[in-house]
Order: sequence, then structure tokens, then C-alpha cells
Amino acid sequence: MSAFKDPFDASTSLTRGCSCGRHTDEAAHQADLASRTADSEALGNRVVEAAVMRALFPHDATRRRFLNAVGASTAMAAISTFFPLGMAKEAFAQSGNLEKTSLKVGFIPITCATPIIMSQPMGFYARQGLNVDVVKTAGWAVIRDKTLNKEYDAAHMLSPMPLAISLGVGSSPIPYTMPAVENINGQAITLAIKHKDKRDPKSWKGFKFAVPFDYSMHNYLLRYFLAEHGLDPDRDVQIRSVPPPEMVANLRADNIDGFLASDPVNQRAVYDGVGYIHTLTKDIWAGHPCCAFAASREFVTKMPNTYRALLKAIMEATAFASKQENRKQIAEAIAPANYLNQPVTVVEQVLTGTFADGLGNVRKDPNRIDFDPFPWHSFAIWIMTQMKRWGQLKGDVDYAKVAREVFLATDAMRLMKEVGMKPPTTTTKKFSVMGKEFDPAKPDAYLASFAIKR
Amino acid sequence: MSRLKSWGAPLLSLLILLGMIGVWHALTLPKTAAQTVDSEYAALVGAAAATGQKSAFPSPADFGRKIGEHLSDPFYDRGPNDKGIGIQLGYSIGRVLAGYLLAALVAVPLGFLIGMSPTVYRALDPFIQVLKPISPLAWMPLALFTLKDSAVSAIFVIFICSVWPMLINTAFGVASVRREWLNVARTLEVGSFRTAFRVILPAAAPTIMTGMRISISIAWLVIVAAEMLVGGTGIGYFVWNEWNNLSITNIMTAILAIGVVGMLLDLMMAKLTKLVTFPE
Amino acid sequence: MTEPLIRIEGISKKFTGRDGTETTVFENLHFSVDPGEFVCLIGHSGCGKTTILNVLSGLDQTSSGYVFVGGREVNGPSLDRAVIFQSHALMPWLTVMGNIAFAVSSRWPEWDKDKVRAHCQQYIDLVNLTGSEKKRPAELSGGMKQRVGIARALSIQPKMLLMDEPFSALDALTRGVLQEEVLRICAETRQTVFMITHDVDEAILLADKIVLMTNGPYAKIAEIVVNTMPRSRTRHDLHKHPHYYRIRNHLIDFLVDRSKAFAGDAVNHDPRHPPLVTPGLDPAEAAASPAGKPLVAVK
Repeated sequence: MSAFKDPFDASTSLTRGCSCGRHTDEAAHQADLASRTADSEALGNRVVEAAVMRALFPHDATRRRFLNAVGASTAMAAISTFFPLGMAKEAFAQSGNLEKTSLKVGFIPITCATPIIMSQPMGFYARQGLNVDVVKTAGWAVIRDKTLNKEYDAAHMLSPMPLAISLGVGSSPIPYTMPAVENINGQAITLAIKHKDKRDPKSWKGFKFAVPFDYSMHNYLLRYFLAEHGLDPDRDVQIRSVPPPEMVANLRADNIDGFLASDPVNQRAVYDGVGYIHTLTKDIWAGHPCCAFAASREFVTKMPNTYRALLKAIMEATAFASKQENRKQIAEAIAPANYLNQPVTVVEQVLTGTFADGLGNVRKDPNRIDFDPFPWHSFAIWIMTQMKRWGQLKGDVDYAKVAREVFLATDAMRLMKEVGMKPPTTTTKKFSVMGKEFDPAKPDAYLASFAIKR
Repeated sequence: MSRLKSWGAPLLSLLILLGMIGVWHALTLPKTAAQTVDSEYAALVGAAAATGQKSAFPSPADFGRKIGEHLSDPFYDRGPNDKGIGIQLGYSIGRVLAGYLLAALVAVPLGFLIGMSPTVYRALDPFIQVLKPISPLAWMPLALFTLKDSAVSAIFVIFICSVWPMLINTAFGVASVRREWLNVARTLEVGSFRTAFRVILPAAAPTIMTGMRISISIAWLVIVAAEMLVGGTGIGYFVWNEWNNLSITNIMTAILAIGVVGMLLDLMMAKLTKLVTFPE
Repeated sequence: MTEPLIRIEGISKKFTGRDGTETTVFENLHFSVDPGEFVCLIGHSGCGKTTILNVLSGLDQTSSGYVFVGGREVNGPSLDRAVIFQSHALMPWLTVMGNIAFAVSSRWPEWDKDKVRAHCQQYIDLVNLTGSEKKRPAELSGGMKQRVGIARALSIQPKMLLMDEPFSALDALTRGVLQEEVLRICAETRQTVFMITHDVDEAILLADKIVLMTNGPYAKIAEIVVNTMPRSRTRHDLHKHPHYYRIRNHLIDFLVDRSKAFAGDAVNHDPRHPPLVTPGLDPAEAAASPAGKPLVAVK
């Protein structure tokens, strides 16, 4: 389904082919339409409206029933009363000066932050007329507080964090947005070298694990992985929250048996000979999101042009990083003390996917980490099901609504297109985690299907 | 004999230092072990890992080389997250002095008031007793949340931790000014303002300065922890950043620098204390 | 008859103990000090001597009764009454000059530095401390410290001097030297002095009148002994005077026996007019002496 498909058109055929029937598929139809639409701004507006409409009614059949009942313009007006459509459209207006050119963006020194970091030394920010200081920050709680305090205009966060902040889980609720995912995959389960024979997770009973933060994909993936192998993550093992830089030191000191962490922590454990890489997270869930680029809703609405420029820089950087051939160059740019402060080879192994596994083998896995900015709403919904599964989130949640408000898929689509990436045409998709399918339309059923939960 | 006495202690110190370095050197002698993996793998990992070991603790020579490196260029600035150790120390000292002076501005007058009035003392005592033992880092989340600025928060944490010894010592010093000196002032019809500055202040000065000396040590302890937590700049951030990189030599350099600056701050306060101390 | 400089009328002092019981240290004391007179107060410890001195200086308050100085009621410390403390009470962070200058500039805040300095120097010279101006109290001997205390008290040119056992902490030799010095200075300045002591010889050497107090609690003034020896006495030839041993014996007799048993012979005792006695005179002399006859009503 195309981003430009008009969801207000109740007559659109739901079968294959395009809406007018003259084209083989919707994309062709759209290309034709775009070339003919002289007023590109009107097109932009329609894209925004379309995305909103589709987000509200993800099921085509339902949406069509709704439109048939009230009519497109009434629907638009009704939606405008609770969604700031005008603002969203304004934010996308091409023209307009930057409200602010000197920005501060916080990051945690891990490879997940690659697009945020590399944009500085490699000039992606500068190309958008922005003078950005990327500031290294000590931990997730601090990055959250500094962003909430407006010391940072935007920040690198774990993708569950904007959801948690918006829901008021673990902090007071503040409207937060996540306009882009930074990276997909790129994490790993690392175990202490003394456990090199305990490859079977069933033998991990009593282990002490570390994850970077309670509200992190790392925590949810590790819990999921353990539970799938029959271990209750709260009863059979210990999981504690440890800042990434302390993980290798703790592993070395035998304080923990392993961790599920971001790189370069895993590769660094191998480099120092204290651990081995057990499982890459891409083998748990291929294409899972990890870290995110996040900003407060206030920043997005008050400085739409700056926000747009910043996001565009991140998108361009992400597009650049997603190409394998650029990875070495990026590793060199982000390894110095000002950024990740790691040996170049460690960063390079993470980014290129040709790496030492800690057991004497050199593995080649080009998809070890990848970069795709699109904030799928289904990712947000999956994260919320896990928050509920492990008792972080209680009561009923309007999954779709929260996902829509926090994961700004619309903006991402538009900008991805501008920087020459191919955005998906829908905001939700089914995916499978360790062979088990997740249907974003049925989060409650998914949640109910787990044997181990709280 | 007297020559031996004056040189004995420094000589002994030097011998202890050399002894410690010797033991350290012996313990960190590189273990010669055959490479256990193929060279393609070895290129991807650290030297220790290539021989099937964990990365080793640095030797005194590594440490000395690193110190030399830092001393040769202490003030470089390569972006907001990478500055020379001299600049980082400067940031930390600046923060400590700001928080500390602020604390002194509050603690000394307030301590005066508390020391002069037993009623005020009794009224404030429970608060002081509860607030005094709170760890500096426990204040940090609260400060970040309410002050909404990490630089101000760091200064606040210094302030709140260094205020207590000064406050308590000032109050104690003022309360225990000898009755007879106050009586002298009274029989001379000296006004309360002049009594405070000409009698109570000089009489309590040694006690107040002792409190200030304790406080500067605490402030210096706290800044490193606070900066490790908040990051950004300062020697605490430097330690954290090098921990991130697992660079033990850098961390040790920073530890040494922290120790030396702490000693200098204490020496400075000791000098000042001596100035106001009177023999009885 | 001149108006007395100090008149004490019926003062008493009560303390409330921790358990709530009230202790009366002394009660209903009456006596007076004339200008230029040197009066000593003798009594055992616990009879409230220091309290009386503190009341006179204004540092302490009575439970009842009045104290008048120069016809005005005392209601606080005053530069008119300088105190020499038992423990000298010098400020250790100030030099000799600084300690005295602190007093002088308190007395005359309008004076400039030079004037204060010159004035201080005069009193440093008076107590024979010339050359020690820049020393701190810690560098001085006990006797020198007390000299500074005396110089500080005199420097403000008070109407009267109150001394609280000023020489009790000193060794006998130093004490003697200082006593003579005080005698000399008082002769030179005609200073009115009220002094507390428990040293009988010191009282006989220095005082014109010696007030005897009974033991506390409920201490009273038993009598006032008039020192009938000439004022030109010195420590050296004091004991050669015929009055000396009579006065001395009378005082020691009082301190050893009568101070305890005084309540018994208090039948004719009028606390408003404690008897003036002249044990120094033999009975014949006493009858002839103008001091002997109507002494009861000196006032």
C-alpha cells in the first residue's frame, strides 16, 4: 500500500491494482498522479491527512465504512478536532527559516547512536544549516532528565523510552515523540568466557544478566529469549540494569554472567578477552528496532522547521549508514574519544559485521547491524505488549493511539522519500519473533498466548 | 644525626614509593604466551585476547607514558566530549569553588545565628541531623528534576554536601566562645555588630576554618561522583569516559590528578586555618 | 559627707536548681563605697562574692534590691565601671596593644588610630609593660597578662574599678609585685576600687574598708572592718605596724569561726547598717578615734 494512496476515497478498490484502475499497481498510479499535481504543497497536505486517517483506521474495511457513513470532508473536520492536522501540515511546509540553528543533541556512546553521532563529524547537520553539538551522556536516566529539562533539544533514546515517557511509566507523563528509529538489530547476548561451554540457554538457571535499562529493547528481547527457552526471567535468573560502560568491567570482575547489550560493548568484551558473543539479536527478531531519535512534542510543534531539518539530517545519515560500503569510513569517524572512545577495529567489526566472536572464530554477518529509520507503529505496539507482559504497564492501553502519537511515521515517510530512501507504504506490518508471528491488530491475543508472563 | 632526621622521612617515603612501583612492575610483567588463534582473528581482538587471556592491568611504564602524554598537552580541546585533563580539572575546580563559596555564604551567617541562639539551634537541629548524612548522589536526581539544569544541579550537590560541616562548626565555634571575652565586650559597651566581628568571629575562626577544611575535602570528593553521574565536562566525566573505553591508564592518571588537586586544596585551607589560629 | 559612688540597697540572689528547689545565695545586703575608696570583700567561696561583683558591673542581675552608681540605678554594663577579671580575659588573637586598643576605641570610637595608640601606650607604660606592645597573650607570663588586664581596665578611665580576685591565679612573688603596683597606681590616680579576695593580707594591704560576708546560702554582711593603718603602707613594712596583727587576727578569726556561726549572734544585727568595726585600734584608741564612735552611721 502506498503512502500516497488516498484513504479518504471510499471507492478505492481493496483488491490488487490501483485506485483508478488505469495503472498496474498503486505506486504507478501515484507516480503518475504526482507528476500531474502541480501544487506539491497540496500533495504534502494530502499525504499528512492520509497518514493520519490511515493511522486512525488501520483496517481498510473499517475506514471505508466510516467514510461512507460521514463523508470525507466531515471525517477530516472531525479528525482535526483531536489531531493537530494544521500543525502537522505546517511542519511539513517546505519553506520557512530555521527557528534555531545551534542545537544540542545528547547521545550514549554506543553504535546504536551512529546516525546521530556521525552527522556531526561527517557534516550531515551542517548541510541542513544546523550547528549541532552532540553531547555524550552518562546514562539513560540522565539523558531523559536532560531532555525533559530542555538542556538537549533532541536525544538518542532507547525506542521504548519515548513510549514510557509519554505513558508516564517511570516518570511523569510528558508528550514525547519518536520521529525516527536509529538502527535495527545490532545487539547481542554476550556471556563470560568461563561459560563458553554453556551454549544451551536451558543451562543458564541462576545466571546474573545485565541490560542497559528497564525500558529497553534489550530487556524485552532478553526476557523474551529466556522465556522462549523455558526460563522465567524474574524467578530463574537475575536481570539488572547496568550502564553499558560498566558492563565489561562487571563481566571481567565476575559480577555478572552475561548481558544483552548494545555494541560496541559486546565486541569490546571479545576484544578484551572477557566474553564471547552467544547470540546476535537479529537471530531473535530479524529487523528489530533498538535505539531511537527522540524529541519532545513541544520541540516538534514550536520549531517545526528546525525539527524538520534535524530529522532530515538524521535520515540522510541513516541512508548513508545503511550502505555497507560506507561503514568503514563511519567507524573511523565515530571511534575517537570525542564520540564512542573505542578502538577503531571494535567499531569497525560491529558496523561491517565481520567480527571475532570471542571463541576463536571470525564470523561474517553483514546484517549484524543495519540502519532503517522507519518508526513502524507495529514496533510500538509490540513494545507495549511486552511492557504489559512484564508488569511495567498496567491497565488497558489504546495501543494504536499511543503508537501513532509517539512514533511519527508520517514525518519519516515524507523525509525518507526526500533523501532518496524507499519508505514503506503502511505503518504497521506483521513480523515474527523467534518464529512466533506478531499481528499488530491483535495485541491482546498475542499477549494472552504467552505461558510466562506477569 | 639531625641531618638524618630531616632527610629520614622523605627518604623513607621515596623507598616506599619505589617498593610499591617495583611490586606493581613485577605483577604486571607481560606473560609470554603463544598466540592461540589464527592471525585473521588476532587482528580483530586485543593482544591479550589473541593469546587466550583477559586484557592485563597496565604496568608502571604504561602509566608513566600516559601521564607524560597528558602532561605534554593538558589543554587540548577536540570537541565537546574530548578535552584535555587540565581543562577537565579546571571545570571541576570551578564547580567546586562555586558550590563551596555559596555554601560558605550560607553556612557561616546561619551558623552564627544558630550558635548565638540556643532556641534557633534547637529548632534547626533536627533538620540538620536528618539532612547531614544524605549521600551527595542521592540529591542528584532530585536536583535534576527540580532545578532542570545539570550544571546548576552539580553545583547544588556540592553546596548541599559542603554546607553541613561549615554550618555545624560555625555554630559550635560561636556557641563555645569564652563567656569572659563576651563579658569584656559587654563591660566595654561594645555593640552587637562590633562584638560579632571583633570578638566572636576571631574567637570562632579556628573552628570555622576547620569546618571549611572538612567541607572542601567533601566537595572535592563529591564533584567526581557527581560528574560521573551527569557527564558533560569535568574530571569525573573524564574518568567515566575512560571507563567507557576501559582505559585503566587514563583512569589512573585521573585518580592521581584528583588526589593531587585534593591535596593542594587541603593544603591551601590548612594555610588559611593557620592564619586565623591563635595560641592560648 | 560626700555622696557614695556606689550604694547597694537590699540586694538578694536566688537560683532555681534543676530539681526546682530555690536556693538563696545571699539576701538583704546593704553597703556603700565612697569615691576614692578601696573596698575589699572577703568571704568563703559560695557566699556569692563574684555574683555581687557581676551585679555591680551590670553583667548579672539581682533577684531583688537596687544598685546605684553615682545616684543612678545600674541596669547593665557600663564603661564607667571597668572590670579586671580573675582569668585576665585577654583576647588571644590580639596583641597587648590590640587588647588595650579594643577597649580604648570602644570608649572613644571617634578617636583616630594615632590617638588611640598614644593613649594605650600611656597605660602600657603605667603597668611597666613598655616593649611588650606587640606580643600576644600567649607569649606573656601570668603576671604580665594581668598587667595588661589592669592597663585595659584603667585605659578607659572608669569611675571605678571592679576586681574579681585578680591575683589569685598568680604565684606569691608575682602577686606581691602586682599588689604594690595596684597600690601605687591607686595612689596616683585616686581610683575608686571594689575588689573581691580571699587573701587576708592582700585585703589589709590594699583596702580602706573590708566587707566581711558570712557563709552561704543566705549569706549576709556580718560587719565592715575599717583599715586604720595609714595609706602609705607597703608590703615591706606592713607587719611592723601595731594595727596589723589585730586586724589580721580579727579577719582570720572571722573566717575560721564566725563566718559559719554568724546567725547565732545576729540578734542585734541590722542588715541595713552592718556594724563598722576597728579591730586595729586598742579599746582606748578606739574611743579617741573619730572613726570609733559614730561609725555605725557613716552615711
